[in-house]
Amino acid sequence: MNMSLELLLATPFIGGLLTYIGGKVHRWVRNLIAVLFSLATVGEMAMYYNTTFKGVVWGSLFGSNLVLQTNPITWLFLFIVTAISLLVIVFSIDDMKKEEDEIVLDSYYMQLLFVEGAMVGIVLAGDLITFFMFWEIMSWTSYFLIVHGGKKSMAAGYKYIIMSVIGAYAMFIAIAMLYAKTHSLVYSDVALALSQASPSFIIWTVVLLSVGFFVKAAVMPLHTWLPDAHSEAPSPVSPLLSGVLIKMGAYGLFIVFYGLLSVNLAKNIMPSVFSTPILLYIIQWLAALSIVLATFLAIMQEDAKRLLAYSSVSQIGYVVLGLATGTSLGVAGGLFHALNHAIFKGLLFLAVGAVIYRTGTRNMSELGGLVKKMPFTFTALLLGIIALAGVPPLNGFVSKWMIYEALIQKKEVFLLIMAFVGSTGAFLYVYRLIHSLFLGQLPEKYENVKDVPILMQIPIWILALSTIVYGIFPGLAMDVIVKGMKLFGFTPIAYNLFGFPEGTAMGSLTVINIAAVLMTAFVAVFIIFILFPKTRQVSQYDNYASGQELTPDFKYNYSFGFYMSFGRVIKPILSMSIERVYNYWIDAFKIFGDYYMRRIYTGNLETYNSYIVIVVTIAAAAVLLGGKLW
Amino acid sequence: MEKMTQDQVRTIANMLRKRSLWMIHYCTGCGAMELPPTMTSRYDMSRLGLAPFVTSRQADILLITGYLNVKTLRRVITVYEQMLDPKYVIGFGSCALNGGVYWDSYAVIKQLDRYIPADLYIAGCMPRPEAIITAFQDLMDLIDSGKADGYKRYKRDLAYYKENQRKVLG
Amino acid sequence: MVSTILIAICVPLLAFAIGLTFIMFKLKITARVQRRYGPPIIQPIYNLLKLLLKEDNISHGVIFSLGPIIALAGSILAVFFIPIPGLNLLTGSGDLIALLYIMAIGSLGMALGAGNTANPNASIGISRALTLMFGYDLPLVIIVISVILQYHTTNLADIVAAQANGHWTLWTLPLSAIVGFVVTYGALGEHPFDIITAPHEVATGPMVEYGGKHLGFLMINHMFHIYIEIALFVDLFLGGASNLFWFYIKMFGVFFIMMLCDEVFLRFKIDDAVRFFWKWPTVVALISLIIVLVK
Repeated sequence: MNMSLELLLATPFIGGLLTYIGGKVHRWVRNLIAVLFSLATVGEMAMYYNTTFKGVVWGSLFGSNLVLQTNPITWLFLFIVTAISLLVIVFSIDDMKKEEDEIVLDSYYMQLLFVEGAMVGIVLAGDLITFFMFWEIMSWTSYFLIVHGGKKSMAAGYKYIIMSVIGAYAMFIAIAMLYAKTHSLVYSDVALALSQASPSFIIWTVVLLSVGFFVKAAVMPLHTWLPDAHSEAPSPVSPLLSGVLIKMGAYGLFIVFYGLLSVNLAKNIMPSVFSTPILLYIIQWLAALSIVLATFLAIMQEDAKRLLAYSSVSQIGYVVLGLATGTSLGVAGGLFHALNHAIFKGLLFLAVGAVIYRTGTRNMSELGGLVKKMPFTFTALLLGIIALAGVPPLNGFVSKWMIYEALIQKKEVFLLIMAFVGSTGAFLYVYRLIHSLFLGQLPEKYENVKDVPILMQIPIWILALSTIVYGIFPGLAMDVIVKGMKLFGFTPIAYNLFGFPEGTAMGSLTVINIAAVLMTAFVAVFIIFILFPKTRQVSQYDNYASGQELTPDFKYNYSFGFYMSFGRVIKPILSMSIERVYNYWIDAFKIFGDYYMRRIYTGNLETYNSYIVIVVTIAAAAVLLGGKLW
Repeated sequence: MEKMTQDQVRTIANMLRKRSLWMIHYCTGCGAMELPPTMTSRYDMSRLGLAPFVTSRQADILLITGYLNVKTLRRVITVYEQMLDPKYVIGFGSCALNGGVYWDSYAVIKQLDRYIPADLYIAGCMPRPEAIITAFQDLMDLIDSGKADGYKRYKRDLAYYKENQRKVLG
Repeated sequence: MVSTILIAICVPLLAFAIGLTFIMFKLKITARVQRRYGPPIIQPIYNLLKLLLKEDNISHGVIFSLGPIIALAGSILAVFFIPIPGLNLLTGSGDLIALLYIMAIGSLGMALGAGNTANPNASIGISRALTLMFGYDLPLVIIVISVILQYHTTNLADIVAAQANGHWTLWTLPLSAIVGFVVTYGALGEHPFDIITAPHEVATGPMVEYGGKHLGFLMINHMFHIYIEIALFVDLFLGGASNLFWFYIKMFGVFFIMMLCDEVFLRFKIDDAVRFFWKWPTVVALISLIIVLVK
């Protein structure tokens, strides 16, 4: 069994290389290899359901062991990573056909599998060096994936990688500090060392690590790369980025706060607000701000993928908000929401990708009325938006409910209000999405659009059914989460297959009852409805417009600036932009850099010569003095 | 047996229809001036179950309030065709009957009945609210006895109406 | 088993009946305030049956027809989560927070159905409806949280039980109750919040293309909607009731005041409505919340 943990890690990487080689033979060989290897990864992952391995040493670096480990929490993230990757690869087969250049495609599949492998590595890592290594592999390979999306994606990818590198530096400094203290970066050793360290040391390391995770998880104010990167990336990559990659940041936060630093320890070294350690409390506020502000921004978007990207910032806010509560219910809710968000956001991005595949645009005001042409995609997207809006009985509701209840229990009312507002705001933008894409008037040029090929529908439908399964049977996910959280010292919460009994939270929840009553009511109303006189289908141009006859050459329904009047209300908020602050600093830095660079690189050969002489002199002196200079 | 139940259903439906008549707010001419007094406290037509509504899909009665010119006729026909069966048309004032003071205008439709089937006319220039209410009561009687069948005539003689409409509208 | 089925059938019918009587009274109250005689008291029944018996119905697509059905199913679902005197129904399966989201199913169904037309008025109406919902949601969640904190439970049945013997939330948290009234009023979409249907601007907004039996189902949904909103207000702030009669009387009292307000206001612009909700009701609700927190 020990071997197979390494095998699980190696499978995607081997698959990636073989895919690249297979692409030289034939494109179907390549596609088959990619699907088979990601399928194999899912299979290997499934073997670890509810098992715990502590520490399989697979190497050593700088005198610190490199360790792989697994437990139910890592299994949850492994599940997200491998399952979504598989679906994305299956979806890519048809979607990426439009790419003419086969060589580009070969490297595309290789990078997809590499990203998957890197994320598997992050999750399986049992020490910070392994973690950081795979973290960097993930950043770089995902950068290459983003820039597949065409011209604009170059700039977006550039922004992404710059911010990722800044985050990685912060993490690296923290890891170096820890290494200097302990000389072993295995989680258990680090946790032991932290328990004896001084509070200021702990706070510094934790803050630095968190900065790295915040960049990846796109928590405000470090989210600015996400809307560009996720919207410009190719459509099959976006679900991987939005559904899975940003969860790595959430996973990192979980490991830092509950793996390396237990909650009790945190409480002892720093003051508490609402019985939350102050650091976690600040994180909660940042998460809550991301929820609300990203929701406002998502409402105002005109680009379908950008809307979803902002919604990801908002939803990851719920994950982080839940994780940072520090109570069993809240953390379980956060972890569950990570899974749910991966499901429904993957679904939404794939469904929007399907629309883009058929129509070639993601500008919402150019689309409309596609429900008649793409009914299957519409139904899947409908399930996705209901899940995202947190309406019972689909999955997004259950995890949000848990987070709300956890916040009520802790009386953190202001955070709760923000969480609620973000959720209502979600109604606005998800409705905008489905309305502009699928409802309203069908433009003439999309008269011949068909539903997407079967290979693209399968991933969409697997995810759509998952929203129902995890919505009605939240116990399926809770089995894993609760068992895993026990290992991290949380008191297990009571749950059953269909929800939460009295006593877990301040109320109780049985989702199956909601679903059953809703279905019964629906069927009953439907039967009554069809008893009455028949309905006649009319053309979309047969519409009441004060007697005006509608004609195909004009778009009548309201699809550009759908919430313009709401935009007027939140104008003061929208005019604030953290990006402008960043740009200001970038400009300042550039001017500063230019000025001093010209002082050093004067363009004068004699100056450069003198530099060489100085360096050689110093080096010689250093050698002669035998390193006694310092 | 089945026919009998159908008849009974139709009788009951007609009884309900005459008690709840919604008219569309589509004022084509000056006759609409007389509707506000009919709606408000003095005459209060809601006593009879009449109510103004705003879209053709929701309405039962189309009031042609006054003269109809060629430009408006096109809209009126669209609105009429969008209304759901059973639907009724009332020609309101002498203009709808014979052109009224615009009898020799090139732009005004002289006889409404040639373009859409009218169930009832109200004479007068303009008809007083009392006349309007009487007209509505007459319409109710017609509905009750199943004689308000303009919408059926429109379907039956569609070719005739379309031909006439084409002549005017081109 | 038989009693369960009986309850499952009777409770929605009861809600429908209550909503229907309210609509009846509404027409009469409006008429009397305007010094008119008004329609016969059972006019809404005539209207409803006439719509359902229309010979011709049009549809712009499957979702257009499914919209009213989803809306009505969602409303019926919500009815089961509001405790009525003597019956707690499904309050154990979903608490107040779940109810807030269940109530959204109705709006979602309506929005989906109306969105399936190419009609400009419909899309403007939905845009307004969702914006207004966002507007009144902020004060609503604040007062809901203050009530939850007051009674330390999210279970609606327990909240009602805690108000027994006249300890109504209206007396203990008057500010929350006032805001609750305003929010319920806004949710019902009466003047000055009838921006969604505004007949003179957007031709009844989302309902513009609905006629015949579709409109009939939407009217039934509206009756349920009235019941849900006001019953929730009564359960949260007026201590529920010990029997159906008092429950009805309390609901009617609330509705009566609302109808009187309906007659005296003009209409807000949509952004002004949102600004209004985010200004005074929010501030008052926050004060109430802080009082609960400090207490």
